[in-house]
Parts: sequence; structure tokens; C-alpha cells
Amino acid sequence: MVLKKETAWCPGCGNLGIRKVLEEVLKELPFPPQQVVFTSGIGQAAKMPHYLDVHYFNGLHGRSIPLAVGIKLAWPELTVVAYSGDGCIYGEGGNHFIHAIRKNIDITILVSNNKVYGLTKGQSSPTTDMGAKNSLDPGGNENRPLNPLTLAITMGAPFVARGFAGEPDHLRKVIREAILFKGTAVVDILQPCVTFNKINTYQFYRERVYTVGAPATDKYEALRVADIWGEKIPIGVFYRNGDIKTRESEERLFQKPVSEGSIIDLIKTRHAAVP
Amino acid sequence: MECNLLVGGEAGQGLASIENELTDILARLHYCYFATKNYMSRIRGGHNFHMFRISRNPVHALSGQGWDMIIALDGETEVRHVPALKKEGIVLSPQHVQEIEKTAREKYHDVIASNSILVGVVLGVIGCTQDMIEKKTKGIHSLDKIIEGVAFAERWDLARRCPVDPRVTNRLRFDGNQALALGAILGGCQFMAGYPMTPATSIMMYYSRAALDLSIHFEQAEDEISAINMALGASYAGLRAMVATSGGGFALMQEAVSLAGMTETPVVIIEAQRPGPSTGLPTRTEQGDLNFVLHAGHGEFPRALFAPGSIEEAVAIAQRSFELADRFQIPVFILTDQYFADSLQIIEAEIPTGVSQRDYRTYDATYMRYRLTPDGVSPLTYPGMGEALVRVDSDEHTEEGTITEDLNLRVRMVKKRMHKLELLKKESLMPTFYGAEDAGVFVVCWGSNKLIVKEAVERIQAEGAKIGALHFGQVYPLTEEMVTGYNLSGKRILFLENNATGQFAKLLKRELNINVSDHILKYNGECFTVEEVCRSVREFLV
Repeated sequence: MVLKKETAWCPGCGNLGIRKVLEEVLKELPFPPQQVVFTSGIGQAAKMPHYLDVHYFNGLHGRSIPLAVGIKLAWPELTVVAYSGDGCIYGEGGNHFIHAIRKNIDITILVSNNKVYGLTKGQSSPTTDMGAKNSLDPGGNENRPLNPLTLAITMGAPFVARGFAGEPDHLRKVIREAILFKGTAVVDILQPCVTFNKINTYQFYRERVYTVGAPATDKYEALRVADIWGEKIPIGVFYRNGDIKTRESEERLFQKPVSEGSIIDLIKTRHAAVP
Repeated sequence: MECNLLVGGEAGQGLASIENELTDILARLHYCYFATKNYMSRIRGGHNFHMFRISRNPVHALSGQGWDMIIALDGETEVRHVPALKKEGIVLSPQHVQEIEKTAREKYHDVIASNSILVGVVLGVIGCTQDMIEKKTKGIHSLDKIIEGVAFAERWDLARRCPVDPRVTNRLRFDGNQALALGAILGGCQFMAGYPMTPATSIMMYYSRAALDLSIHFEQAEDEISAINMALGASYAGLRAMVATSGGGFALMQEAVSLAGMTETPVVIIEAQRPGPSTGLPTRTEQGDLNFVLHAGHGEFPRALFAPGSIEEAVAIAQRSFELADRFQIPVFILTDQYFADSLQIIEAEIPTGVSQRDYRTYDATYMRYRLTPDGVSPLTYPGMGEALVRVDSDEHTEEGTITEDLNLRVRMVKKRMHKLELLKKESLMPTFYGAEDAGVFVVCWGSNKLIVKEAVERIQAEGAKIGALHFGQVYPLTEEMVTGYNLSGKRILFLENNATGQFAKLLKRELNINVSDHILKYNGECFTVEEVCRSVREFLV
């Protein structure tokens, strides 16, 4: 069942296409949506879970990833997806993005990357190109853009990919593969912002994107591909390494309370005055 | 009889080892004690001192009536602390210590053996004999060195100079942070995330070590912001969860406190206070964060604040905090401080062993996370249980948990959330009273000062004067019921707090219109001693 709701997005927003893709992916998954939890932060992209038939925790700006980590650790049977925008995940939550990857937890991080702040009406984001003029840098952005995918590969993420909102079939496959992948999966999604980003438009990307072949298993080859940005922009799975061990052996805690016997042992070993 | 002992020296001179070994062996020999420390925020050098009150009966505060014995590992300890030595008190000077170190080197080929020898000297001073020690401490590796220390005490004519009788009962030893961590586990807390910060770190150490054997999980986060968001995620997914930190770390957590309030996600937050502002005095004590925690987080939402003052109370309050957090779907705070965190003591009370559990209910597809109910508490379930979709939102939301700007609904949601404060008030923990109810002077305190004030009241009453004291273990919300029957308007009320501005006094005035007569405030980073409280209070008794 798909909820038909009026979204808070502009007509033509890249998120509309991504939403449709996500609805399809959720239908295709080999388990029911009652097993899928989305976390999100704040921003236009972060509203995504409201428009899907899933559990969600729409939390604070930048904090979708720690919520996802907490949920996955608490109940590993759940499929957990952190979904937010470039400002939320790479800016406000940049520290969490880096460190969550180190944890080797089986979560999926999906980022609607429109290279601009939308909800606050047009400021530069961590992925904005140098020179782009936005509301708080009318003289042009003086910061180099963050490349989230080379960063993810460097941090050791075992699944790193890029999709494009304008290539829904391809995006569907990439997101499905990311969610089903056992380990931390990062997908940066090129999402045109029709209102505040007049450079990175659908047409801009259509002229440049090309699909990469089989994912690299060599990190340096993956880095080389992820570093390409200009006349040509690669999309697809850049890196996939199934050998990196996730924390799946984590003890199941949900509905398994601590026993009174183990408390008695704890008091005896840690607190008895005479051992 | 009791022996008040101070061991002082530089960081890295073995003070912590002496404390560990002495408290371990004293417990085995059936002594009671209270041990706390005053240390600098550094790994080597400086001036640190550990204080021990060794007694036949349980003791829970520093006496403050002078030292019976001082062990000075360096000259600075002599200069600083010998003025507070009792008339018949004993000093082991750095020269004595050097003699012991010489023996350690020659006999045991290890200067570290001098720590155990010093422990032996203390045991000799309080009247332990070689026989007693050998009988009760079978299997400890340093026995020969401890016996060597007893021999030193005899050689220096110090044996039985400050005798204390042991007593045999069933006893436990705890410091304040261990009590909170154990209480949390008893409260069914199965998830803790944290970032180290003194004086909260030892709560995480206890919990993470317990997680090796128990079905609980500790996660070290990259920062405090992440820690509390992980805890909220875990709570949302079905586990009772907590975080612990100190003032600076808590400052980072504030936005998520507000998130817990808005999303009605149960969570317990322990704030172990140290003197601020900012980095302040990282290893010292203060009760300066009451206002901060009370008002932390933007917007309006209900909360409860507790501040335990004894080991038993810390266990009980920690356990209860998780029950309340779940029942009312709110953040619950426990305020503690460096003094209580670092105070190791023997207790005779029983500690409960039954573990509380979260209620796991399933609902059908009509479930709404924020269903408007008469009492404001919506049914709580977790994702993946049954058909219910659990949709949680930091925006103002509908009953279904979707973002809304319906301003009429906004008002109903605010009322729903705030009504839980009224329910919470009905569950209030009453203050503890000590002394004479008809006394004209009352001391009011909260948190870790409880048992210092209790003993001060006993001392003053023993002198023939009348005094009463009230200790608040629940510092918010405050209710009329907490103070009815004490006729406070007719009393002279002294507010005793470890802060500079009398924060609790102002809160009691605001909430219950109780007037402050006088403040007894200490904010140099050290705890009160019993005698210090007595001195301050006596001034108001004349």
C-alpha cells in the first residue's frame, strides 16, 4: 500500500523521482516493509520517510546516522536506512558519517545530494562547487567541495555507489543492492534542485553521467573512479567488498532481559567485601 | 574508634595502587571504610591525596576532625596536611617512605612493593596482627610485603596506635558511579552509548565491563551528540537506553534532550557534575549544573531530575528512572558529582537483584504513535513488532507521527505532552528527614551531601542541640506533599549546596515558595566534611 500524499517538494524536484524509486525498491525487497526502518535528519530530503510506508525516526539535523546505528545495534533483525541530504549528512553530521563507517555496521546511508541547502532557501552546502553563488556567499563559494565517495572509500566503507535521480531504473538497482548488501553501504544520489541550483540541472547531469561496469574490488581503482567529476560523471557501484566483516555476531538483546542470576554473580564478583 | 588517614603525593607515585590494595584488604578483614580522593587533572606530578576513614561501623562521609595518620610520599604532603593532624596523630614522612622503598628494592627487587608495605604499616597502626591478616587474606599475592609492613609498624612503635575493631557482617562495597551503573542495569537498561568525560567515565567502564557477561551493550561514540542520538535510536528500537556525561558533554547533548521530549522517546541521562564554567576543574566536585539540566533543551516538555545521596538511593533511583522514563515516555535525569562518583564505601544494606523489564506490546495497523489519550500517554510499541508502523518525528506531528503545521493540533499535542508532568508529580519521591522535627533550624540539601548532613545532624544532636535536616533525592518536579508536615515557614532554613549561587534554594522558592534564611555554600571544588557542616550550622544555633 502506497500512501498518496502531497509532498513538501517543488514540482520537478529530484526527490520526487527518488521517492518513486524507493517505493519500488521497498516492494521488491525480500521482506515486508514492517522490517524496514528509515531514519532521517532535517532538510527537504529528510522529509522522505514521511512519504513512504515504513517505520521512521525523523530526528535532528545531521543526526540520522547515530539514530540508525542505535537502532541497528538494538535490534539487528531490522533493516535500517539513514536518509537525508548533503547538508545534513556531510555537513552537520559529517563527523557521524566518518565514524559510522568505521563501525562496520550493516546500515545503508542514502544521500540526496543537490549540492545546495534547499529548506533554508539556497545556501552553499559541503558539496557546492567553488565559485557557485548562493545566498550567503554572493561573491561565490570559496570552499572546495567535499567528495563524499572518495571519503567513504578511504574510511573503509565496503559498498560505495552513486546514483542519479534522472536514471530511475539504474538508481533502483543500486539502492536495492545497497540495502541488501551486508555492511555499511553509502549511496550518493545526484538530485537536481530545480529552485536553488541552476547549474547542476537534469540536463547538466544527462549530458555527463555514464554507468560504470562491475564494481572495483581494489580500493585505489575505486578511488580513481570516484574522483572523476567534470565532463564525465560516473554513476554506479564504485566499490564493493564483501570480505569486510560486519558486526553481525552482535548478541541479540531485544526482549532478552538480563537474568537475576547474572546480577547475583555481578554483585558477588564486583561488590562482595569478602570475595 | 576510627582511623582517619590521608595518603598524599604526586600523580604516578602509587596512590591509586595503595587505595586499591588498602580498600581490598580492609574489606577482607571486615573493616568498614569511606574512601575518597582529591586529584589533579594530570597523569604525573602535581599534588594528589587520597582520604580514608576506617571504622568499625559503616561511614559515608569525611569526618573533618583532623587526621589520625598521614602518609607523605612527598614533602608537599607534609607541608599541606600536617597542620590538620590530630595532636596524637602519626606522620610517615618521605624519609620513612624512603626506608620502606629501600627494603622493597633490596628484598623484593621492586620499588613498587613499597605500596604493599605501606598498606601493611596502616594495618599495623589500626591493630591488625600477622595472624589476623594471614587468616583472612589467603591467596593474595602481596601477603609477605604486607606482613613486612606490619613489622615496620612494630619497629617504629606505631602498632595499635590508632586501633579500630573489625566487625563481621554481610557487606558490599561500592562507589557512587558503580551504584548508578548497577541500578541502571537493574532498571532494565540494555543499551548505553558514551564518550569519556570525567567524572562520568567510570559509569561507562562499569557498564562496558558488565557487558562482557550480561545481555547489555555499550557503544563508544565519536562525540556526545552521537552518543545520545544512538541511545534514542536504541530506545526507539526497543531497548531501555542511557547516556552518562559531565557538564560540557551534556551541553552537546541538549538538542537531543529536546528531541527526546518532542518524540516522547524514553531515555535516562546521568550528568556527573564537576566545577565549571567550561572545562573548569575537571577532577573536582560541584553541584553547579542543577539549573542547566533543569532547563536544558529548547521548548517545553516534561522531565524528572533525581540526585541520589547514598549508595542504596543511587541504585534505587537509577532503577526507578528507567521505569519512569518508559511509563511517561520522557527524558529522566540523574545528577551526581565527582565527590559521590569517587567515594568508595562499605555498605550493609541489601542491594536488590530483580531486573525491571520493558513492556512489549503489539498493535495492529491502526496504531498511531502519538494517539491522543485522556492522560497524554500514548501506547508505545517498537518497529518490527506486529503490523503497527512506528513513526516518530521531531517536527510537531499528527497522531500518526507525520509532520504538521495544524496549529489547533499543535495546542492539543502540547497539552498532551505537558499533562505527563502532572502524572509524574503523583509519583514523586519524598525527601528524607533527619533529626528533630520540632527543631527551630533546618538544613536543606540535595544530592551527594545527604550523608554528610546526616552525620552532622547526629553530631550536633549529640552535643545537646536540636536540629533537623531535609534531603531531596528528587529535585524536580517539586510538590507540596514533599514538605507538608514540616512547618517550614516557622523555621530558620539553611540551604547547604556545593555551588556559588544556591541554585536549589532558588528552585524551592520558585516551586514551593519556601524562603531561604541562609546559605551554606562551598564551591572550591572540594566536598564538605561532617565537621565543616557542624561548624557552619553551629553558628546559627546560638
